Amino acid sequence: MSRRLVILFAVLAAAAVGLSIYAMHLHRRVAREAQSAVEQQVAVAPAGNGPPETITLYVADDSDASVRKTQVSVVLPAERSERDRAILRTLMAQYLAAGTPHPVGAGSDIRQVYLMGEDTAVVDTNSAFADAHPAGVLAEKLTIASLVATLNANDNKIERVKILVNGQERDTLAGHADLRRFYEAGSIGQAELSWPRELGAPARGRTGRE
Amino acid sequence: MIAMFSLADRRVRLCLSLGVVVAFATAALLRHASVHAQTPEQLTIYSSQSNYSASIIDVKGVPYVGLVDVMEPLGTIDARPDGKKYKLRFTPPGGHAVEAQFNEGKDKAKVLGENLKLPANFVLQNGRGYVPLSAVPQILSKLLAKPVQLHAGARRMFIGDVAARFNVELDKSTPPKLVLSFPIAVNPAIATEPGRVRLIFRHEPVVAGEQAAYKFDDPVITGATFSEHDGEAELDVSATAPLLANFADGGKTVIVAAAPPPPAAPVASAPAPPQASQPAAAAPPKPPAAPRFLVIIDPAHGGADNGAAITPSLLEKDVVLALARRVARELTNRGIPAAMLRNSDVAISLDQRALSTNAARPALYISLHAANTGQGVHVFTSLLPAANLSRSGFLPWETAQAAFLDLSGVAAGSVAEELENRKLPNLTQSAPLRPMNNIAAPAIAIEIAPPDDKVENIAGARYEEQVAQSIAAGIAAIRSKLPEVRP
Repeated sequence: MSRRLVILFAVLAAAAVGLSIYAMHLHRRVAREAQSAVEQQVAVAPAGNGPPETITLYVADDSDASVRKTQVSVVLPAERSERDRAILRTLMAQYLAAGTPHPVGAGSDIRQVYLMGEDTAVVDTNSAFADAHPAGVLAEKLTIASLVATLNANDNKIERVKILVNGQERDTLAGHADLRRFYEAGSIGQAELSWPRELGAPARGRTGRE
Repeated sequence: MIAMFSLADRRVRLCLSLGVVVAFATAALLRHASVHAQTPEQLTIYSSQSNYSASIIDVKGVPYVGLVDVMEPLGTIDARPDGKKYKLRFTPPGGHAVEAQFNEGKDKAKVLGENLKLPANFVLQNGRGYVPLSAVPQILSKLLAKPVQLHAGARRMFIGDVAARFNVELDKSTPPKLVLSFPIAVNPAIATEPGRVRLIFRHEPVVAGEQAAYKFDDPVITGATFSEHDGEAELDVSATAPLLANFADGGKTVIVAAAPPPPAAPVASAPAPPQASQPAAAAPPKPPAAPRFLVIIDPAHGGADNGAAITPSLLEKDVVLALARRVARELTNRGIPAAMLRNSDVAISLDQRALSTNAARPALYISLHAANTGQGVHVFTSLLPAANLSRSGFLPWETAQAAFLDLSGVAAGSVAEELENRKLPNLTQSAPLRPMNNIAAPAIAIEIAPPDDKVENIAGARYEEQVAQSIAAGIAAIRSKLPEVRP
């Protein structure tokens, strides 16, 4: 191999390495900027045109593993899916506020709510919602239950809810709660009618030890 | 560069091709390196209590292992960093507590009050203490007062007198047989290849007998070689004909013999006689297997999946593994057989957990989790609507648990009652937890949260013991309510 070929080969190899390093640098910078943008984004109810309306939120509380019903007034858009999204963003804003009883990851947001027929809603959350959600069976279950119950309370035709993350199906929310399934609003309500349940008062009557 | 590109096109194309090859080779090497970085080597440990494994990490080219990983299955361990110091207190079952102290970045340690010089510096990573692998036998033999043998190259360690040496004897009758006699029942993986059969011992502390290599003066079975590598032992039997391995004496004897020749092809003009009587003559019907009650314990997460970060140095995967081992011991103490889906820091997929559990057909499945949400112990059953499904038929994968919800509720309630008896804060709810919905057996999940305001107390020995005792006592109390299944 001639000297010039060796030089050219070395230059190409150096360029390949240099470009790889530059590409990695760019990739990190883009990821940093995207993360920064997401963190600056605060979920707030979008402004609507009409008068304020009273909506029902089911707000989770980690301290006693409860989901409490509360009512707030917000201005909502007229279109049904936009309206559902605005309601869930209002719920999310509660969880993102300082001193929240049930924190979710910074930058968590509802990207879209898709309605399939009358009774099924597909809630598309952003990546931060799942990636930064506190991991744990109870924490994840409370989040899902509050989303489903809130949606059903304000749009009672919605009976089935599916949660996506960034437009994609995920196995779990943060390693525990199942995100592959559709949640039935009725079954969540039936299973958890006793909320709030005080810590230290386990379910009884089914132990079979009597 | 312009002058160079004015050279013959062939040379330019050649150079560009080389550049592309270099780029691909670099990418492949990087990928290879990253894949290997994610799969740490494992040290297989054999002891009279249990056989398990611990991850080996590389620190500046020296293999290290975590002290807690190695010692936890052997008794009760309380190990915590205290500034630059790492204090360890270990209590063997039924024995007295012993202590050791290590210093981050130093090779001097104190074990049972005696100075000990490590072959390399002690390492503290994320609150976990690591010692050089070669120092482990010295440390353990002092703390456990037992001989400890390390086969460093093979990544196998033997605590106490557990090594199982085997005898090899060639029976030259026709056909010739190689009789391997073990002091314990063995269940090796068997791989047959043309001219050889390999017995791979993954779970048994099998070591070489009088010699590692055997040569036989036999036309069929010509030799056998024993070797150890990658945390396993292997016996490789070579032959000039296909071989088959059979077990006898309750698994203590393995007989390797030439495989019988394939049956002659039937002749069309002379139909074969009816074969109906043959199976009955060759193999008398087996008596039905005795029912057995097995509890499967599933410590969640593992490997690259850390689960929740309870504190920056306390990971869910470690907390639940320690708890699982304690629960298994408590169950065993109550005469209840228990098996763990993982007994080391390895990754298992959610589907694989469900598949392994369903294949074992347990009386109860317990999934263990840890989090810093709330306080006390959370007991969960599956958030599925109850369904009137037959437990003996095929069950839908996504909702298999629905057929067992009543029994799962019985188990959850009984465990909650025991937690209450021990005045441990607790709650019982349903949860949409994977892979619980896929479990075709009574199933509960238990998530431990800190018992009080101090998050790190979630890993306290007393709390762990109380929770484990509650779980085991809760299961023992309703044992008769849960179905025993045949293997």
